[in-house]
This record gives sequence, structure tokens and C-alpha cells, in this order.
Amino acid sequence: MDWLNLVVFPVIRIVVLFVVLLTGFAYLTLLERKLLGRFQVRYGPNRAGKFGLMQPLADAVKALFKEEIIPNHVDKPIYVIAPALALVPALLIWAVIPIASGMPAVADVSIGFLWILAIAGVEGYGIILAGWSSNNNYSLLGALRSSAQMVSYELPMGMFLVSILILAGDFSLVNLVDNARPWWEWIWLWLAFPFFFICILAETNRSPFDLPETENELVAGFQTEYGGMKFALFMMAEYTNMITTSAIMATLFFGGWRGPFAEEIVWLGPIYLLAKIFILLCLFIWVRASVSRPRYDQLMTFCWQFLLPLSIGYMVISALLAVFLK
Amino acid sequence: MPLNTSPRVRPYETLPSLNVPGIPAVAPMPSGESADTTRVAERFGGDVLAAGMHNGNQVLYVKPEKLVEVAQFLKSDPQLRYESLIDVTGLDRKELPIGAGAARFQSVAQLRSYSRKQHITLVADCAGGDKPSIPSLTAAYQGAEWPERECADLMGISYTGHPDPRRILMPKQWPNHPLQKHIPVGGEEVPFSLTWDDPEFETLGTQILPALSHAPDMPPGMNRENMVINMGPHHPSTHGVLRLVVELDGERVVSIDPDLGYLHSGFEKTGETKRYKDFVYYTDRMDYLSGMNNNLAYVLTVEHMLGVEIPERAQVIRVIMGELQRISSHLFWLSTHVLDVSGTGMSLLMYATRERERILDLFEMVCGARLTVSYIRVGGVWADLPEAFLTHLQDFVRVMPGKIDDYERMLTDQAVWQERLQGIGVLSREQVMEMGLTGPMLRGSGVDWDLRRDMPYSGYENYDFKVPVQTDGDGFARYLVRMEEMRQSLRIISQAIANLPDGIYKTDNRKVSLPPRAELDLSMESLIHHFKLMTEGFHVNPGFYYHGVESSKGELGFYLYSDGSPRPYRLHIHGPSYNNLYAINTMSRGEMLSDIVTNIGSIDIVLGEVDR
Repeated sequence: MDWLNLVVFPVIRIVVLFVVLLTGFAYLTLLERKLLGRFQVRYGPNRAGKFGLMQPLADAVKALFKEEIIPNHVDKPIYVIAPALALVPALLIWAVIPIASGMPAVADVSIGFLWILAIAGVEGYGIILAGWSSNNNYSLLGALRSSAQMVSYELPMGMFLVSILILAGDFSLVNLVDNARPWWEWIWLWLAFPFFFICILAETNRSPFDLPETENELVAGFQTEYGGMKFALFMMAEYTNMITTSAIMATLFFGGWRGPFAEEIVWLGPIYLLAKIFILLCLFIWVRASVSRPRYDQLMTFCWQFLLPLSIGYMVISALLAVFLK
Repeated sequence: MPLNTSPRVRPYETLPSLNVPGIPAVAPMPSGESADTTRVAERFGGDVLAAGMHNGNQVLYVKPEKLVEVAQFLKSDPQLRYESLIDVTGLDRKELPIGAGAARFQSVAQLRSYSRKQHITLVADCAGGDKPSIPSLTAAYQGAEWPERECADLMGISYTGHPDPRRILMPKQWPNHPLQKHIPVGGEEVPFSLTWDDPEFETLGTQILPALSHAPDMPPGMNRENMVINMGPHHPSTHGVLRLVVELDGERVVSIDPDLGYLHSGFEKTGETKRYKDFVYYTDRMDYLSGMNNNLAYVLTVEHMLGVEIPERAQVIRVIMGELQRISSHLFWLSTHVLDVSGTGMSLLMYATRERERILDLFEMVCGARLTVSYIRVGGVWADLPEAFLTHLQDFVRVMPGKIDDYERMLTDQAVWQERLQGIGVLSREQVMEMGLTGPMLRGSGVDWDLRRDMPYSGYENYDFKVPVQTDGDGFARYLVRMEEMRQSLRIISQAIANLPDGIYKTDNRKVSLPPRAELDLSMESLIHHFKLMTEGFHVNPGFYYHGVESSKGELGFYLYSDGSPRPYRLHIHGPSYNNLYAINTMSRGEMLSDIVTNIGSIDIVLGEVDR
């Protein structure tokens, strides 16, 4: 058995990925606060360290040393496990994302697309279980909204993924980036990007679609009863999800690691990928700073009456394009 | 160590021997007549005990058993058309020389005719001596519900036929009705519902918090089959300590029961122990977002009762300040409303706050304070405008319209914003008048009414401005009204700057306002005036008066009853937030949970004023 390739290298990759992602999460919170601060004519955190660079560290220390409070009325095992359930899928998706020429982050799963769809399906559980086990009306309402919203938006998102899959003709994400695409395919893909981005916003519960937690109505939604590190885990899940979904979008729509000289100089690949992720993350934050939040029922109406038919139409046309032009 | 709660005695304020003989005195009966009072007197004959003018207001004294009938006549008679009930309050005459056999409590209602621009005060004795009761005006005006609940709670008048006679501001277990004259100020024992003996504190600081099931304290008419949630008192978007008990069917609102009084601080009772000039500082703290307008409303009431002339310059300064305060209050409303509707990330919050900051800086220039200004005083204003003020103000007036355009670009035409507000919290023209709502709530539903234009005060009749009116009655209409009000306020300010006269900023009537420091060294008379004003304060002639001003949130009115002493005998505050909040149940029924938050924002409440 090839221990080196099957166990040692993947473990090293996983560890590196973990460190990068968790650091990324920590500094993403800083980036968001800084950027939001700039959008809103204020400074953002700038007390801890130079430019507030130590802020994530301070936050982590605070979260870790907070008093652990588990209310008596919660369903304890589920209550404790829910934050972890929210975080894990966000990390798992990374396994199949290609980071350089011919190189996936962890493993070149030949069914990369299905992997994304499957893990995205699990993502809702953490939030739903958290809301349910909290035994609190606000949490429950948040969880109900979340389940409805995530299930609904998975449909158009899946349709868009399938369209890309049809055009690519291959389940593997590594191959998707490696194979050259004709120019019309790029344009056709970019047409779908705004709608896919909306689906992603709803999937990750990001503002303006952060209806499961809507601090204005539901106090903190599904995470009302959580405090300390368990609350931090939800934050981690949300922000890691942002990074992950940005990576997916970069891979699907913007050629992942591709860029000038990326094929000759391998180490440029991850840098290009990171740059694309960074730009997409800024887009997330920009949207948060400038778009109003719709009401819950308006969000659902938008999904079922507009986005879903649109995505189905997009899929049909994609199939026709694939048949006649490829 | 136990807290010392013995009643505090302030001898210089309460020593009866200081008072001139003949004080306290009862307010004189109304004299003269007006078309409206004559018409009612003719119609009801002997049931109207007295009718006429008092302090410039129309007043009717009626027999309590005929009160509802008179109110219905005032409302429905085609020549009278008093569509709206502004306020109901009570008066405890225990310390007045009313003579044996006279009723101790009186009920006082303020009625308003929007179509005819008339105001009338309806006074009736309460039967029952120390346990007063009177027929409820809710039979004639729906809007009497909350004012009467407040009066029943604080004054102890029981309103027969009232649909919901629960206490509203004080806690349920409170032993007395604090506005009654025999209840002392300070030193009362507070019946706390939660003490350190409570078993809930035994596990304080442990890892697992017990959450025992308490029998829910359900408001009448709510059904436990539905989900009942508490919004507040600690909720991010109830704008303070407001608690709403919300009955939900899924996410649809079945009914709402607001629970008020968490911030009740007894301004009215406090006011009855302060000299007239000392209450100005308290008014800032009610609606802490529009301190200037609060000052103005109170001061105008006192000045009208005193009959002092206010110098021209002071009037114009007051208008400038009032309009600046309106803009700042609307900016704060806009930012929090956007925050409620759109989420915390929305940048408009900070943009509007940035502009509001400039107004607060201007306030700081004139009086040193930013929020609790107390700038407008009885007789004028506290100090003259500093030299640099007008330059800064002109710059602000020049920049601000562009900023309002920016906000409108971010919101007015945006599909999501429109969808969130249009058709939400709809109130018809009839409803708003019936419920006694005021301010933008009124104008958003198509009632063309603005006290500044229709019952001008402080020289508002000299300014050219439009009163924005929208007919849809939904959240979006109210949003448009407030945005346009900001522009109109800017217009008023620029006219005021152009016409700012020179002269004194404070009346030179030495019975009311302090002489300047330099005069004290030269004139014995000034010294006496100074001494009298600083120790005793000025006396106000016996009588009562209600005056309302158009505050940013609606009609802010003060009802003062003077017994001739330097302290108000009765001071009642009609807060627009309180009366407008009454509409929340009607507005939100059948809508989504999110819309409650939108509606609270759309009403524009400040809890400091709701609870007072």
C-alpha cells in the first residue's frame, strides 16, 4: 500500500489547509470589520496591534475564556454538537478545490460537483439543529427560516451547477479548471454569475439574506442561546463558508488558479486563487454594506417565482449549447 | 446597609408661609364665548355647566353623565366636526380650595377639529369622591383608550366602560396611584417583583442555568395555541425598553400587546414639585432626540399663561433650533429605521449619523450641550448665538439637501426598500383621526395638518413652507413625508437666517427673566428681582392651559394647571410617541413578524417619551 500518497501527504495537506483556513477566517472577520468601517465612514478596529491586526487574536482569547453557559432547557447533546455540525461542512468542501495546475487541495475526487452539492445539503443541519435544540421561540423561528431558505436556494444553485457540469462534461473540478474553455462558454457562464452569487448569499446566510439570524427581529435567531466558544464556532462556520463558497465561485466562474504564467510556475496558482477569493470576499462585504434585507416571504417568493424558473431555463439552454457547439 | 428612603423635604420649596395669601387658588371659570361653545351650550342647556374661553382656549364644563354624549355631539355634528381626541388626563384638586361637596377629581379631555382648525377642552367632575369614576370616552373616540389607561393608572380615576382597564405604566403590584396629591414624592417603598430571596439567584454563576417554567402571564385575549413571544424589553429593535407580547401564527401576527412603563420616571409628579423654570431641564430627558422641541413646547405653555412678550430675535432663534432638532431627530429616525429594516451592515446608518453630528455640533456651539440642551428658557433663550454659529449653520444648510438626495438615492427607488415598506402598516385617514395619532402618522394617511401652519406659534406664520402629505397611509408614505419634512425644515431655516433680527434674545421683563450680572451691582431693584427669581421663582396666575407644538414625532402638548404659586399644580405631558404607539396593534395585525419591527420604526418612538 502506498502509505506516503494515501495517508501522509493528504494529512499534511489537511493540516496546512486547516491552518490557512482558520487564519483566513480570523482575518476575514477583521477584513470585514475594516471594510464595513470604511464603507460607513468610520475606522473599524484599530486598537489591538498595528491597524488592529491583533484583533482576531483578542477575539479568540475572549471567546475561549468566556463562561460556558448551557441553559437547562436545551437538548444538551444536540445543543453542543450543532456548532460543530455547522463548521465541518464548510471545511469539507475544500477537499476538492483545485489550488494549482492539476493539484486539488486534498484529493482529486472524480465527482467533485456531486461532493459540493452533497456537502452543501448537509450545511443546513447545524443551524436547524441549533435552533431546534435551543428550545427557544426565537431560535426556532430562525431555524425554520433557515431550513426553508437553504432548501429552496439549493434548487437554483444545483441547477446552475448542473448547467456548468453539462458544459464541462466532467464531474471533476480539477479537470474543469485544467481543460480550456471556448470564449462563448466564459461569457455564458458570467451571465449566470450574479444569480449564482445570490444563491450563494442565501446559502451562506449572509446579509442581505441573513434571515435566520436577523438581529432586528429574532435577536440572534438560531444562535440566541449560544455564548462563548460555541457562538464563535457559528461565526467560524459563517466566515469559513464565505471563503469556501468564494473558492467555489472562483473555480467555477473565474478559472480557479488560472492566470498569467500559472501553468509554468506552479506556486503562482494558489496566489491567483487567493487573489480571486479575496476579491469575491470583498464583494460579499460590499453587498452587506449597501443592500437592504428583504422580508422572509419576499425572499422565498423571489426564489420560487424568479430564480428557479430562470435557472431551469439556463440549464436547458446550456444543454442545447453543449450539444450544438461542443 | 439599607438604603435611606425617608422622604426628602425641601423647605424652601414647600414652606407654605412663603406663599402669598390667596394661594392656592382655583382656576377661574371660562368667560366670554365662541361659536362652538355657544352651539354646545344651546344644544345641551343645563348639562353644560360652563362654556367659554379660558387662556385663549375654548373650554366646556359638562356634567359627567353627559360627557360621552357631548363628545359624540362634538364629533358628529356637521358644524363642529371635532374628529380627533388628542388627550385625556385627570386633575386631583385635593389641595385646592374647592369648598365642601365639590368633586375632588376632574377629567380633562382635549379635542381637535382638523378640518376646522379648532381646539376645545372638555372638563368634567368625577363622581365618587376619593374613589373617582367617570364614563369612558372610548365610546366616542377609540384613541381615548391609552390616555385613559394612563390616567387610571397614575391618577386612580376608573373609567366605566373602558375596554381594557389594566394598569399601563406602573407595575401591577404597585400599591397606589402616584399622581394623587396625598402620595409623597420620594421615599415610597418599591414592591420589587424580583428580590435576592428569589430561588433563581441561588444558582447564579453556575455553569448550567436553571430555567424553571413559570406560568406565563398572558395578556387577555391571547391564545396559547399560537406561538406567543416576548419582544423585549431587551430586544435590539424595540428602540429601548419596550416589551411587546406578540401572538404569532407561524410568522403571521395575530395580536400584539405592548407592555410599557419600564422607563417610567414620573416626570409629571416631579414637575409638580419644581418651580416653573426648573422643569425645562427635565423636558430634555423625555424625548431625548428632540430636546429643543420639548423645551419649546413647555416654555410656550408657561409663557402663554404668564402673558409675557418674547423678543423677535428669540422667536427666530427658537425656530432655527426647533427645525434643526427636527432634522436631527428625523435623521436619527432614518438611520435606525434603515437599520431595523435592512440589517446592521447598511451604511446609511452612519451617513445619517454623520450629518446629525453636525447638528449636534451646532447645538454644542450655542449651549454647550448636545443632547440635553435646555437652551430654550422661559422668556427667550439661554444665551445669544455665538458669532461663528451663523457661518456654520449656513454651510450646513448649503450641504444638507445634497445629502438628503443621497439618502433618497439609496432608498426611495430601491426595489427591496419599497417592497419592505409599501402596503405595510396601513392606516386609513379615518383610523388615524379616530386613534388620535399625530405628526407624520397623520400626514402619511392623508390628513393635511401641521400645527406650525394651522395653529402657528413662535412666528411660524411668517415662514413659507409646505406640509408634505401622502395618502397611502403605509410605511412608505410616512417615510416620504419625513424625508420631505427635512427639506422643508431646511427651507424654514434658510428663511430664518435671512430674517434674523438684531436685539435682545431674552425678554427684559424682570419678573420672569434674570437681570444681567452687571445690572446687579448698580440697581437694588435688579438685586431684588434676582433674589426673588432664584429663590422663589415667578408666580403664574391661576388657570390652566393646553398648548401643543409640532415636534418631530407628532404633537407634543403640555397641560398646565396653576394654583397661583411658583410651582405647577398639575403638569401633564402629551407625548406623541405614546399616543402613536397605540396604533402598533392595528398596524401589524395580519402581517409578518418582520413587519412589527418595520412598523415600530415607522411610528418613530422614543421610549423616554412613551413612558415619561
